[in-house]
Amino acid sequence: MNDRRACIIAAGVSDFGVRQAHIVDLFQEASKRCFDDIPGLKPKDVDGLIVATSLAGRSCCQTNIAPLIAERLGLKPTSFCTRVDTLCASGNSGILIAKALVESGMAEVVMVTGGEKLHMPQRWETFYSQLTTSEHDWDCAQGMGLPPPFFALHAKEHMKHYGTTKEQLAAVSITNYDFGYTNPIAQQKKKLTMEETLSATPIAPPLTLYDCCPVTDGAAAVIITSEKRAKELSSRPLVYMRGGSQVSIHSNSANWPGEHLGDWPHLKLAAQKAYKNAGVSPDDIDVANIHDCFSISEIIEVEEFGFCKKGEGGPYVASGQIKLGGKVPTNTDGGLLSCGHPFGATGIRQGAEILRQLQGRAAFQVKDAKIGLAHNLSGLCAEHTVVIYGREPVK
Amino acid sequence: MSTIGNPILEGKYAASMDLWPLEARQFNRIYEFYDNLRAGRFTTTRCKRCQHVDYPPRVICSECYSDELEYIDLPVKGKVISFTEQARGVPLGFEPAPLIHAWIDLGKDSPVKRLLSRIHNCPAGSLKEDDDVQLIVFDIPAHPMEVGKETKTMERVFFGFEPIKKD
Repeated sequence: MNDRRACIIAAGVSDFGVRQAHIVDLFQEASKRCFDDIPGLKPKDVDGLIVATSLAGRSCCQTNIAPLIAERLGLKPTSFCTRVDTLCASGNSGILIAKALVESGMAEVVMVTGGEKLHMPQRWETFYSQLTTSEHDWDCAQGMGLPPPFFALHAKEHMKHYGTTKEQLAAVSITNYDFGYTNPIAQQKKKLTMEETLSATPIAPPLTLYDCCPVTDGAAAVIITSEKRAKELSSRPLVYMRGGSQVSIHSNSANWPGEHLGDWPHLKLAAQKAYKNAGVSPDDIDVANIHDCFSISEIIEVEEFGFCKKGEGGPYVASGQIKLGGKVPTNTDGGLLSCGHPFGATGIRQGAEILRQLQGRAAFQVKDAKIGLAHNLSGLCAEHTVVIYGREPVK
Repeated sequence: MSTIGNPILEGKYAASMDLWPLEARQFNRIYEFYDNLRAGRFTTTRCKRCQHVDYPPRVICSECYSDELEYIDLPVKGKVISFTEQARGVPLGFEPAPLIHAWIDLGKDSPVKRLLSRIHNCPAGSLKEDDDVQLIVFDIPAHPMEVGKETKTMERVFFGFEPIKKD
């Protein structure tokens, strides 16, 4: 049984940005880079496929996309072939399902690939389609499409309750842009100064341009297989999927579970559950890739994950604890803020970075990283998904 | 529906591109919520068996799964906890910017404590935290619907909040 423990063994990420490509092209780019990452693996070896995408049915008029992607990638899955959609967490949802498939014995080698084509021929449709991503008949019908306004409210509440400052928000953006500056797939390849960040175009006050991740086209792919098969296929250090969690205790904004919008008890619960089944504590996390769709989200997340005390996320990020050499280097490939955020691809892009970190081949390598964590929120911060990886399996 | 680039949709209504709910009883079982809105009432469902209140309204109770529900009134006045004036990325149908979003407190006695709403009839820069707001019900575009051999026009309303004018 133990040699069925799930491992992540390869990853590939397409270029992210405003892409002159169809979503099907992006899936092919990501999958080629994924197979290039593990020369011993061939498409015929893959018996399971999970395709993570939220808006393919809308933006590309393509529902039931998994069989199509299987065919275009030259895959012939005989164990499992499906699409998953939990918006921003679709990729990590697929990764958790792949873990279960492998560990149950239902599948042997699973590709999890995710992608979106969000930029449309006319810009209005990109924004308009976002009115389907939360509750269409309720929150979205109030004009809540792209989420900057909702997270602006979180920022204002966090400022009110904990004294968080705009400079502390900017510290997240500056750090993550520094990490993404040399990432070849990143959408935003530039460095930011504090002055430039603070004086950027207002989007939804207090959030400005660089507090918000961009709208992004792109795809990513990973391979998840059993420990036994991983040893046969890869000569690199094994990276185990130690555990994870997915918490969904509300959907509509009116049912927000916290005392206020700066309080995310559902993420705290997801973190606790993931730590427990991965057999780790916050102090064990060497590197994290958490959902920085907005600068404020990363500040609240480092609190709820227990990297610092509740309410101290602002000083924590501003004092460099998210940088290399800090307490938990975070979003070391640039995160959503710099890489961009093609919803279905994001969790998989995070998994790719954690894989590189734990195998010692990341661009900004955390020395001797043994435990890595990935996290997505989705919807109006309604669902939280956590995956914890390690160089060693759970004992 | 724009027909640029797609003339076969000339004169057609595409519900898949509609930013508003399909409120007609042919398309949902909570049409009473919209009927109540038309009467100026902001309502939701309460379970007759266990008294649990759900929002948005349901056809079953989320606590005991009873389908014996009744509509009750919610407060039509509240207080702004927090707000933002969205300057960029305002979706079609909600222009011009700024689009004002607020997190509203409906009071400690309300079964629904807080909700997110657009703030209407509010000049940019004028809203403040703790301002009092009230429900506003307004017409939204009607849509055609085929009923037998006829095409009927289905009228619709929706809701938001607006500042209560200070004397």
